Amino acid sequence: MKVAYYPGCVAQESGKELDMATRAVASRLGLELVDFPTFSCCGSGFVDESNLTLNVAINARNLAIAERAGLSTVMTVCSTCQGMLKLAGQVLATTPTIRSRVDATLRGIGYTYSGSATPKHFLQIIVEDLGGAEALRSKVRRPLRGLKVAAFYGCHLLRPHDRMQFDDPEDPHTFEDVIRALGAEPVDYRGRVMCCGFPIQFVKPATAERIAGAQILDAQQHGADAMATPCPLCHISLDTYQREAGRQVGHQLNMPVFHFPQLVGLALGLDPGTLGLARHLVSTQGALAKLGAVAVPA
Amino acid sequence: MPTIPFEVFRGSPGQTRFDTFSLDIPEHTPILTALLKIRDEIDPTLTLRYSCRQAICGSCAMRINGKSRLACLTPVGPEFRARGKLRIEPMANQPVLRDLVVDQGPFWQRYHSIRPYLVPDPQHPLPVGKESPMTPEQVAQFQETPRCIACASCYSACPAIASDGDFLGPMALAKLFRFVVDPRDGAFHERLLGVQNQSLWLCLRCNLCVESCPKDVRPAERIHDLKWMANQELGALERGSRHAIKFASNIREGGLLNEMKLARETLGLVGMLGQIPKGIELARHGKSIRKHPPIQGREELDAIYRELDRPEDLQHRPRVPGQGVKGPTQQPSKAGGAA
Repeated sequence: MKVAYYPGCVAQESGKELDMATRAVASRLGLELVDFPTFSCCGSGFVDESNLTLNVAINARNLAIAERAGLSTVMTVCSTCQGMLKLAGQVLATTPTIRSRVDATLRGIGYTYSGSATPKHFLQIIVEDLGGAEALRSKVRRPLRGLKVAAFYGCHLLRPHDRMQFDDPEDPHTFEDVIRALGAEPVDYRGRVMCCGFPIQFVKPATAERIAGAQILDAQQHGADAMATPCPLCHISLDTYQREAGRQVGHQLNMPVFHFPQLVGLALGLDPGTLGLARHLVSTQGALAKLGAVAVPA
Repeated sequence: MPTIPFEVFRGSPGQTRFDTFSLDIPEHTPILTALLKIRDEIDPTLTLRYSCRQAICGSCAMRINGKSRLACLTPVGPEFRARGKLRIEPMANQPVLRDLVVDQGPFWQRYHSIRPYLVPDPQHPLPVGKESPMTPEQVAQFQETPRCIACASCYSACPAIASDGDFLGPMALAKLFRFVVDPRDGAFHERLLGVQNQSLWLCLRCNLCVESCPKDVRPAERIHDLKWMANQELGALERGSRHAIKFASNIREGGLLNEMKLARETLGLVGMLGQIPKGIELARHGKSIRKHPPIQGREELDAIYRELDRPEDLQHRPRVPGQGVKGPTQQPSKAGGAA
């Protein structure tokens, strides 16, 4: 399978480990990633708050770039990018007044948007297009036996359901299916569908951190050895700001947080260095030791 | 007809437990009917709120396997099949009084604080003894919110309410939106200004309220509409609006987000000082935030901005679709294509 790879801003800079793991895992799964240096930021759920038409046009261009290359899937690795690209598709399909303005603007720069390229998150591609959890299980080289992993979905991958059309918006299971296929044990906790707090990290940090802390604590109290997320923005809240989050909820937290492709990569036998595990603020050593995996060089 | 176990939250603050009751009931039975059967036939002390039993009164909201739902509107079968049990808890984010009954005081306080009634404009008083007609387009602006039955499911589902008492919550803000767009109301600016003090900007857009609302009011999208209006009408008044407005101009420059610049513009120089320790910590882990090189085709993005980066018309405000699909602005035009 060949897809247009839409890494998003974070995976290209502060969260580069996500991009590293994505490329390594895609290669193992026989998924060909096509890069487009022309892709722009998705707007991250902020640009549409000040100008919806502009944000839709920006993403119509992103989707039209993939269409022009004849690709029918745009692969995202961020729940928010996924949400914003799907928002553009939904607005263009249902709102003729915006569609006509966007079409005219794109025509002016030589693009046509037809809606033929579908945005899909990497997780969604694995479960829907690459044979699902069972096919993945057959590729596992190092089962993550004994590791209890708390999936943390990231809101925009799931909701609103009429836009995202993926899994159950409040009681999903695909990520847990993948965790089981990798040999690990999924943790059942309510926090897995909650918000990480990231959208208000700049508006009111204490509240954002309290929200992140509540979900990490929930995972910890349900016995998680580690969390894993398909969204790099959630990763920032859960990993980068974990110390602050712990302070807000009155607990010292020490929860390793994997990016979704990193967890898959570990089970496929990729080494922790390739997956960028040393780039986390909360050490993943404890979880790796439990697996008997090679320690991350300091 | 399987035997269905109900794990029901019992007790009052300080003394709580889960009791399990097993019932042989058809899968289509509403959960409220099952709970009343438990109360009538097994334990008469089970305490819950309900009235109409048909999703009009909004009294029987509770958490069913973690989801905030009306018990009268939720059949036993699908939830039982998905989870193998039914865990019934009182709504979240409100103090429990006993069993499934919560104190809704904080929810109603927030509702009353938005002045949920028309405030006439003294310059343009409404005609006395006559109707104030509206066009269908004007009515369509607030078609979703009058459906709200104040059941507080959204309030129970909201993670912002759970973590910050300053947040007004999905229902109160959706109601506020209804008055902001009502042409008979005279307090447009006052209402928008009143929620600037972070209460509007604490919405996380997690959309849990959208999924939990039994009447498809889609509160998160009404809050999105309010944020949009505040940005258009009031500009970058404080952090939340500044972040949204500066984000748009930020990606115009290089195509990808310049995170440092956005932080500086949102937080200001003093706020940035507080970020220095985190910056050092990030750098130690190889996560330094450098500026992305510009994307190829940046001039194309610039052309999009030249064409579309201008105020959107408040009267013909573009709506994030959803339930709005049923509204006049969302229907395919009669010409069968672009207008």
